[in-house]
Order: sequence, then C-alpha cells, then structure tokens
Amino acid sequence: MLYLLLLLPLFTLLGRKEARVLPALAVGTALLSVALALGLLGRAEGPFRLDGVGLFYLLLTDLLYALVALFARGYFAGEEAWRFYWSGALFLVAVHGAYLAHNLGVLWVFVEGSTLASALLIYHRGGARALEATWKYLMLGSVGIALGLMGVILVYALLNGATLDWAHAKALMPGVDAEGLRVAFALLLVGFGTKVGLFPLHAWLPDAHAEAPGPASALLSGTLLNVAFYALLRYAALVEAAGLFPFASKLLLAFGLLSLFGAALFLYGQREYKRLLAYSSVEHMGLAVFALGLGLPWLALFHTLAHSLAKTLAFLGASAVMKASRAKEVGQVGGLVRAWPSLGIPFLLSLAALGGLPPFPLFFAELQAVQAALAWPGLGVAYLLGLGLAFVGLLGPMGQMGFGRGRAGAARGLALWPLWALLALLWLLGLFPPVGVFKALEVALWKL
Amino acid sequence: MEVLNTLTLAVLATGVLMASRRSLDAIIRLYALQNLLLAALAFLLAHGEVHFILAGVALFLVKGVLIPAYLFWLLDRLEVSHEVEGYLSVSLSLLLAGLLTGLAFRVGQAFVLPTAPLPQGVPVGLALVLLGALSMVGRKKAVSQVLGFLALENGVFLLALAESHGLPLFVELGVALDAFAAVFLAGVLIFRIKGELGHVDTARMRSLKG
Repeated sequence: MLYLLLLLPLFTLLGRKEARVLPALAVGTALLSVALALGLLGRAEGPFRLDGVGLFYLLLTDLLYALVALFARGYFAGEEAWRFYWSGALFLVAVHGAYLAHNLGVLWVFVEGSTLASALLIYHRGGARALEATWKYLMLGSVGIALGLMGVILVYALLNGATLDWAHAKALMPGVDAEGLRVAFALLLVGFGTKVGLFPLHAWLPDAHAEAPGPASALLSGTLLNVAFYALLRYAALVEAAGLFPFASKLLLAFGLLSLFGAALFLYGQREYKRLLAYSSVEHMGLAVFALGLGLPWLALFHTLAHSLAKTLAFLGASAVMKASRAKEVGQVGGLVRAWPSLGIPFLLSLAALGGLPPFPLFFAELQAVQAALAWPGLGVAYLLGLGLAFVGLLGPMGQMGFGRGRAGAARGLALWPLWALLALLWLLGLFPPVGVFKALEVALWKL
Repeated sequence: MEVLNTLTLAVLATGVLMASRRSLDAIIRLYALQNLLLAALAFLLAHGEVHFILAGVALFLVKGVLIPAYLFWLLDRLEVSHEVEGYLSVSLSLLLAGLLTGLAFRVGQAFVLPTAPLPQGVPVGLALVLLGALSMVGRKKAVSQVLGFLALENGVFLLALAESHGLPLFVELGVALDAFAAVFLAGVLIFRIKGELGHVDTARMRSLKG
C-alpha cells in the first residue's frame, strides 16, 4: 500500500494534455493521497515506512499541492498548463518518496529526485531568464546534494556498512566514532543546507523562485524547502542519539543566524516582489534551523508549517498580482487593498504574517524561540535584532503594494478562495497553536 | 594489492587528465575509461559476491556506456565546436589540478576509516570531487560543466567503494538513475539554451543578479 501511496500522483498523467481534466486529476490524487496516508500510519514495506513526522509533512505537502493546483487552473488558462501538472505530478512522487523513506540512502535518492522534478517546474515554458535560473539551480543543487551524499556515505561507513535503515542506524549510533560523525554531519548540513536555502548557500533560490511561474514558486517555497529540511531533522536526531547534539547545535545556530541576517539585508535591495519573497524564505528556513539548533525540534516543525502556509499564500497572491498588473517590480504595483480587496487583503496579511506580526503563527514561533534563546543573552539579542531588520525590510513593500500609487488591475477567472482558506488556517494556528501535537511529533522524531 | 593500487592510480590519472584536456571528445572518452576502471575496482573488491558484481555491471552500463553515448550524440546535434573554453590555460589547470590532488591526499588521511576496504581510494575519491568542482567553475561551456559534475559524482562513488564496499545495491542504482536523469535533463536544457541564445556559454548567462 505504501507503494501505491508513492505512485498515486502519477495518475495525473492519465489526463494527457487536457487542460480541463488535469486540475481535477491533480487535486483528486493529492486528496486521495491524504486519505490513504492517514490510514497507513505506522506501516512498513521494504525501505519505506510512514511515521508521525513523515505523515505530517506528507499531509502538509498534499494539501498545499491541492490548493495550488486549484489556483493554477485559472492562472494557466490558455497557456500550456500541462507542463505544470505533469512536472507537479513527478515532483509529488519524489516528495512522497522522501517522506516515506525509512532508509537514509533512499531518502537521499528521493531528495535529489525532487531537485530534478522541480527543475522542470521552474523551467516551464522557458525563455532566456528561466533557462538561466534552471541551469543554475540544476548545477548548484546537484553539487550541493553530492556533498550530502558524501555525508551519507560516511555515516554508512561509520556504521561499518551494517545498515542505512533509519531506526536501526539510530540504535547503533551510540557506538559510532565521534570525530567521523562530526565530519559527516558538517557535510550533510552543507549538502542538504544548499537545498534548504541556507545563507550563503542560497544562491540558486532567489533566481529559481523569481523565474518560475507563480504556482510553481508557491510549491518550491511552501513544500520543496521542507523536503531537505526534513532530511536535516532526521540527521540531527541521529547525531542526538550519538550524544553529539551540542556540536550540531552550534553549527545549526550559526547557520540559522547567518541566514536570518543575510536574508534580512538582501530584503532591502530587492525591487521585484517575487525575489523579496524568495529572500524571506531564506530567512524563515534559517529561523527553523535556528529553532532546531536551540534543541526545540517541535518548534522547528511548527515554524516550517507556519512558513509553508504563509509563503504559499504570499506566492499565490504575488502570481495573481503579476497576472493582473503585468508588473514585476514593487514600485509599479500599488493600491491593491482598495482596488482589489479580495486579493489585496489576504496578500497584505500574508506579508504581515511573514513579518512575524500577531496574531499569526510565525509570531508565536518567534516568541518561543526568543524566550529559549535568551538563556544566552547575546544569542537572544542577535535573534531579535535580525527579526527587526527583516520586519522593517518587508514593511516598505507592504505599504507600497497595499496602499501606494501604482497599477493594481484585476484578473478574471482566478480562483481566490484558496488564498482565503490559507488565511483562515493561519489565523486559527496563530490563535490556537497546537503545541501538544508538535511535542508528540518531536517524541516520534527524537525518541523512537 | 598491486592491481588495486595500479587501478586506483589510473583512476586518479583519468581525473587529472579530464581537468586539463581541451577537447570535449577526449574528456568524454576519459570519463568512459574512468568508469571502466571503477567497475574493475568494484569487481576486485567484490570477492565473488554476486550483488556487487551486478552493481558494477549496471553502473558501468549506465555511466560508462549510456551517458558517454548520450553526450557524444548531444555534441553532434548541437553543432558547436568540440573545444573546451575556459578561464584557465592548460598549464594553469594542470598546476591547480596538482595542488587540489595534493590537498585531497593531505586531508584524505583524516577521512580514512579503520575498516575501509580500499584506504588508498579515499584520497583519490576526494581528489576527483575537487577536480570535478574545478572543471565546473573553470569552464564556460554547459557541456563541460556537466562533465565536471559527472567527474565529481564518480569521486563520491569511489569514496563509497573505498570506505565501505559501496552503498547497498538499490541505493547505488537509485543514485546512478538520478545522475542519468540529471544529465538527460541538462542535455535538454543545453538544447534549449542553444536554441534560445544561439550559444552554450554559461558565462554569458548573466541577466539574473542579487
């Protein structure tokens, strides 16, 4: 049955190139996957197994994919929609594989697979800029992930080639050579960190997010970055089992802070709003890594959830803006809230959510992280400073696009209710953060 | 032991030559040869165990035959010159290749695990990774960057072989499949780059910044 869950998205390809059938198939396979996955928790088959953490990310990905696919129906009207749905289906297979993998080697294979499938998403219909972005992504992504593979190999060798099975490896960890495992973790962090988009390994990310068609950008930021982050979570748990978490924690905190400051500074120089959102992804993935470094995996999980929802909403909003105004730059778009409230309100609020304003869940997550980081005052103050810097960086574009002078326009045929659904979800999560659920997931990740 | 040493050194030689040669045809042939040598190493380390031999054969077919054939076909169809254009002269590339190899041998000692079946392969694997990276950043043509990536990937493969008899068979095959898919995809992109821009020079692709 796990194999069925893995391959289910491929049924989308039965829709051939029919722009009428494909969205329904895409949404259908994603929702079927959700139902199937819920019934398969705890099952194991071959190198696959579905545990709580895998299930969480799988559900998140499939639900977001369904919303994006619904939105994409109006977005690609008249264009070559099949490219999006076909590469989306391949992407979803790779992501399913990564979250189902119970073997560190298989996990690597599917993470790399997701790179290849998402390169197709970025390329879409081509053009010089998209080609450049795709090429850069493919080369940087592949080299990064090759370094990650060196880390996987070292872990395997440290286990004397006994196993790559995740639970088995974890049980063997306490006997592993500490020096070797440090080297392996550093390689893994750089390798998977390239794909997570950690500063200064993020170079592919702004180009890819800006040049991909809007719905694809939403998938990249909302779901693809999580895949590599999930691999890091797994390895952090292994390192913890070996008793080396203090070492990993320092590296994670450093990368997290670096990403926060690096991205926050870049927010100021951006004229295109999709690039702005891309740098905000670098920032938030850095914050998730930081939360993990604080020794709070539940918070890291929660942060990725809140970021995925807010960023999917923001990118869908941005693609609607681009479709209607035909302008890429912040300065050319204005007055969205007045002229087009059904889009302007959720879009503006998504930026507020990304800036960490209450009552949105990223505010709650950042507050928790500050409290924990203040145990080392310097760390807490640096974190707060970075947050403030990033918030101010988003504030200007927010005011301009929401209330300033410029084009707004309105596009017909776009389904905007997925945006409102995401906004409602964000609100709920912010007001009632389900901390208990995430602490249970942390136990599943760390202890079992 | 003698044979293993010779083969390992030969792999290193193909790596250095790949980083310094100027003709794409020669580099592709060197890459095919490198895979033949790596397959031979895999056989010798297999001690008759069937699944290692199967892995060796499958990998040789994918990386030693299929990928080089695809690259030759690609070069023919592209109708561009088969010469490598780089930022570095041949002598400078050789010098850098030598320096990187020396670095790999120095650092590599720290990577060798006590249980490694082919300890001398570890620094060579690292050297291939570094030389591959050198080719990727030092060259302008998209095809030569793909070849740099392939050399880098072979370095990772040798590392797996040297440290722990290689990864489990199904993982190894998955990795090879990924490599093939990446090369195939890169090939399609190269066609599009040529069609769209009229050249395959990645150094001239500079519209995206910051």
